[in-house]
Amino acid sequence: MAKVLELPKLSPTMEEGQISAWHKKEGDTIDIDDLLADVETDKATMEYKSFDRGTLLKILVPPGSVVQLGQPVAIIGNPGEDISALAGGSGGGAPAPQPSAAEAQPKGDRAAQPAGGAAPSGEAPATTAPPAARGDAVSPPTQPAAPQPSSDGRVKASPYVRKLGRERGLDLTSVAGTGPRGRIVARDLEGLKPAPTAAAAAPAAPGELAAPEVRPLSMMRKAIARRLTESKQTVPHFYLSIDVDADPLNALREQINADLAATAAEGEKPPKISFNDLLVKACAIALVRVPECNAQFTSDAILIHRRVDISVAVAVPEGLVTPVVRDVDRKQVLDIAAEVRELAGRAKAKKLRPEEMANGTFSISNLGMYGIDNFGAVINPPEGAILAVGQVRREPVVRGEQVVPGRRWGLTLSCDPRVVAGAVGATFLKVLRQLLEHPTQILIG
Amino acid sequence: MTVLRYREAVRAAMIEEMERDERVYLVGEEVGHYQGAYKVTEGMLDKFGSRRVIDAPITESGFTGISIGAAMVGLRPIVEYMTWNFSAVAFDQILNNAAKLRQMSGGQLTIPLVLRAPNGSARQVGSQHSHSMEHFYAHIPGLKVLAPAMPADAKGLLKSAIRDDNPVLFMESETLYGVKGEVPDDPDFIVPLGVASIVREGTDVSIIAWSRMVHVALEAAAELEKEGISAEIVDLRSLRPLDEETVVRSVTKTHRAVVAHEGWPYGGVGAEVADRIQRLAFDELDAPVLRATTLDVPMPYNARLEQYVIPQAARIIENVHRVLYKS
Repeated sequence: MAKVLELPKLSPTMEEGQISAWHKKEGDTIDIDDLLADVETDKATMEYKSFDRGTLLKILVPPGSVVQLGQPVAIIGNPGEDISALAGGSGGGAPAPQPSAAEAQPKGDRAAQPAGGAAPSGEAPATTAPPAARGDAVSPPTQPAAPQPSSDGRVKASPYVRKLGRERGLDLTSVAGTGPRGRIVARDLEGLKPAPTAAAAAPAAPGELAAPEVRPLSMMRKAIARRLTESKQTVPHFYLSIDVDADPLNALREQINADLAATAAEGEKPPKISFNDLLVKACAIALVRVPECNAQFTSDAILIHRRVDISVAVAVPEGLVTPVVRDVDRKQVLDIAAEVRELAGRAKAKKLRPEEMANGTFSISNLGMYGIDNFGAVINPPEGAILAVGQVRREPVVRGEQVVPGRRWGLTLSCDPRVVAGAVGATFLKVLRQLLEHPTQILIG
Repeated sequence: MTVLRYREAVRAAMIEEMERDERVYLVGEEVGHYQGAYKVTEGMLDKFGSRRVIDAPITESGFTGISIGAAMVGLRPIVEYMTWNFSAVAFDQILNNAAKLRQMSGGQLTIPLVLRAPNGSARQVGSQHSHSMEHFYAHIPGLKVLAPAMPADAKGLLKSAIRDDNPVLFMESETLYGVKGEVPDDPDFIVPLGVASIVREGTDVSIIAWSRMVHVALEAAAELEKEGISAEIVDLRSLRPLDEETVVRSVTKTHRAVVAHEGWPYGGVGAEVADRIQRLAFDELDAPVLRATTLDVPMPYNARLEQYVIPQAARIIENVHRVLYKS
């Protein structure tokens, strides 16, 4: 008996996924736990393994498709089995999500695309298809892809959406409906702009302006955009900066690395620690001493965490991810160094599991390697604060009555003053400065 | 303000109105010497004597008909049934006399009558004693039907009912009698008929309920809040007349509605509310109006099956998820 495979939930917050590659082709025999496809979710690329055994009879969505949770992606069954009923018979049946916008568009047309055109603008998620209406007893087993009006030319939208469409001048034909049978519901209008009128589109005559290169949003980009907007729009940000003397820390770091090199076994690559590794540990100690900085705001109460789990921002080609180093206060600097490197490596390979990027209590973002001296970072909700770290600067410093070569380090704390009041943030930075300028304390915790 | 149980609030309303107007009297089974089957009328016989607090024989049709006659000639009776289930044997009196005589007499007769009793499910009282009778009576023009959830509303609405010149049916609940709440002491405090109340503000969905289901809806709303869903709860209080303005205002704000009530779904008051919403707030709806009701079967006696058939918070939450397209 053939069975339709529906896209399962591969991460806790996943609502849709992009099938980045199929590892099986039609006709292949499938066993339980066989890798079927790679699915790019909002957090990471996940492996989609089979829960069933049989023969892969049909792939319903091509690679590159964005698929809603629960939407059919493939059919498995016995070889030669008639699947026309499941596949929708006449061909109009199973939802056919389009490949992402860039692929859908013939390459030669790109330059000629008028700037005001309705096609890939990044605003209208024209590639999402409706989720299967699970548990909706009267829904047919298949449904039309949403963005296009259905075969009878009707756009299915809730009355409230139609009212909003009239009021805001929205073109509902370009909206992907996520309700039952592709119905456009209020949430589908979030972020939608009014349809360009003929007059508005006129000045941008084709040929006068070169069309921009269109880069469709990856799942990760979408998640980052959503999270950053949410943070900056809903979390008040308050910034505190300090400039610490990094000479003692530099001396300690060199001493540690020299000792590690001297004592490494023959032929073994000695481990090394960085300014950042020492800073992560120093922050953990400071958070234990100033727990109000290790806190989270909720509408009813302030949550003071009893764990020190530090999110470390890692730049990856797709954007930014924040793997979490757990219980940093209870770990040795060397272990922290190894763990940060291991997490960063897997982050760049997009192999982090979603839970490894969730539930941090404080964040550190370091742009020192890009030559940045100082910056203010965006708080990573629901955390209450984030430390932005610049480069360690070589510059003349005053010691006693002498100007001598020295090292300075700019650190900026962004705090959510609803939980981390200015004075609390300042206390945290004072403790952090003491640790960094008397760094053996970092080692003895 | 005094904190009173629901049953004490009902009693306070009757006592105050009987003190205010000597034409008001109380009749029913066990209202006097036994102090009320659910102790709602406790102490009233001693206070007002047996001419105004009358123990009736087990003849609902008889004492309902006599009270309609008394109302026709100027008295203002309060009739207590042991439960609304037993009003079924007085249905002909209520339908054909109480509801009709004012209109059939061209306004020469008025029927200032209050019928009151506990309504809806209790705990394992069987299918014949678990009816939600408001749906039957709200169907009938000429009757007014009230179903308050809170002690203060019970007092204020019952006083309004007693002062009203038309037959008013007042739905209490066995499982609400012990509920406590602040109740105004002022003998002039009344709650007007036909005015709903917002018992909880919210932005994502309107849950419209009455009587005991308001409390279940509050429970559901607290759960939904944990998921980040903000539910507004409209307590209708009065089912006929119906405050469609408050309902429409709420749905205009939230764009989604779930009606929660005890009693069967087919042709019930919930269907009436859904009709008002789709008719008066069509352009505001982002999803069909759904109902969380008692299942469409006679009430089972088995305790677990009974709890399954009665709407619980989980059934409301499930319907809220559906109107938010979250299931």
